[in-house]
Amino acid sequence: MYKGNLNTSKLYLGLAKQAAIAEKKLHKRHPHVVKFFTERGITPGRIREHAARVATATAMAGAMLFAQPLAHQVASSPHMAIAKLSASELRKQLSNQLTALLPDAVEPLTHAQEEAVTNEIKSVWGIDANAMLSGERLNRSYGYMGAEQHLPRYPGDSVGQHDEYQRSGITPGRGAWGYFADSRGQLTQDLVQKEKWYVAVQTLYLPDWNTRTAYLRDWYQYRKVLVVNPQNGKTVVADVADAGPADWTGKHYGGSPEIMAYLGINVGKQKGAVILFFVDDPNNEIPLGPVEYNVRVGRPMT
Amino acid sequence: MSKLFYDHLIVIEEVVAVLDEHKLSAKERAQILKLIDETLEHEILDAIFSYLPGEVHEEFLTKFHAAPHDPGLMQYLKDHAVVNIELAILDRANKTKMKLLREIKKHTKS
Repeated sequence: MYKGNLNTSKLYLGLAKQAAIAEKKLHKRHPHVVKFFTERGITPGRIREHAARVATATAMAGAMLFAQPLAHQVASSPHMAIAKLSASELRKQLSNQLTALLPDAVEPLTHAQEEAVTNEIKSVWGIDANAMLSGERLNRSYGYMGAEQHLPRYPGDSVGQHDEYQRSGITPGRGAWGYFADSRGQLTQDLVQKEKWYVAVQTLYLPDWNTRTAYLRDWYQYRKVLVVNPQNGKTVVADVADAGPADWTGKHYGGSPEIMAYLGINVGKQKGAVILFFVDDPNNEIPLGPVEYNVRVGRPMT
Repeated sequence: MSKLFYDHLIVIEEVVAVLDEHKLSAKERAQILKLIDETLEHEILDAIFSYLPGEVHEEFLTKFHAAPHDPGLMQYLKDHAVVNIELAILDRANKTKMKLLREIKKHTKS
């Protein structure tokens, strides 16, 4: 597609190729450098993002230095503190921080708010989650999630075949990306998890959906996202497996019965405000499902 | 945009200026600049670690990770690299920028 005299689609592909070549060269010639950064949750090539986090942390540390009594400063080494906290304490900490950060109304976040949320999630759960990933972003990173039904995983699937929340029902048609498997025999445990922890997102309202449909369709299929209920800090790693809901519903995302139940928003109007960020997990190390401990620090000692 | 200690040698603005001659949306511009930045980061890291003796790689990585913007990192490289590291970074940055500019030109109608 030409913008003025520039074919932006081809340029994007050309530059992506250049970036891939440079990345491959670094991997080949200095694998220990790549390993060093990867072990610390940083993707080489995105060190500038890490630099931004360092700058934010430094600024916050400076502010806290003046805001906290000395005794509290000594006791609050972040990693030490996180390692000792139980899941419920971590959730409470996240909820407290997010409540302070988020606007009173459920409205689009500013870039600064999104960055601050990213930092809080990283601090509490050790997960890299961003409103934008690889240049892609949804129209909303903070919005209302409503209840969805189960999705049919293969032709002939019925709600009785799903192990939980059968009262939620099953959609009469397939999800936006079709069946998860061609037959019951081909349904793997991985695909079972993908249906169980699925979200619907409004890909249909993306400004470039109609011009980059093929690319975006592939990019979003099973895209890993982090969903947080800021009211209680409950957090779940989910994947995109359906499109919707329609704007007129007043909701921005849909959640599987399992997600709605875990987040505690499967009550009343079956609707609640959530943060939904992309998980930066290039090696697919973070499993789908509830997040109960900091993945970098490990499970707390019992 | 957050700073890295070698940014003054990169002068990415030369590429940005060419890109800004075209009417890109904010999103397209951001996507393209991200790829340009990724390419440059990989290339500059490759240059740095090609000229830095292996025995100080870990120490440098630790310092870089802790404070990616720290101007003291350049002095550390000057003290340890086997070549004039500023020139090496400058040279790699220039060559990479030329490649990127060629790519932009390739997809521009004359």
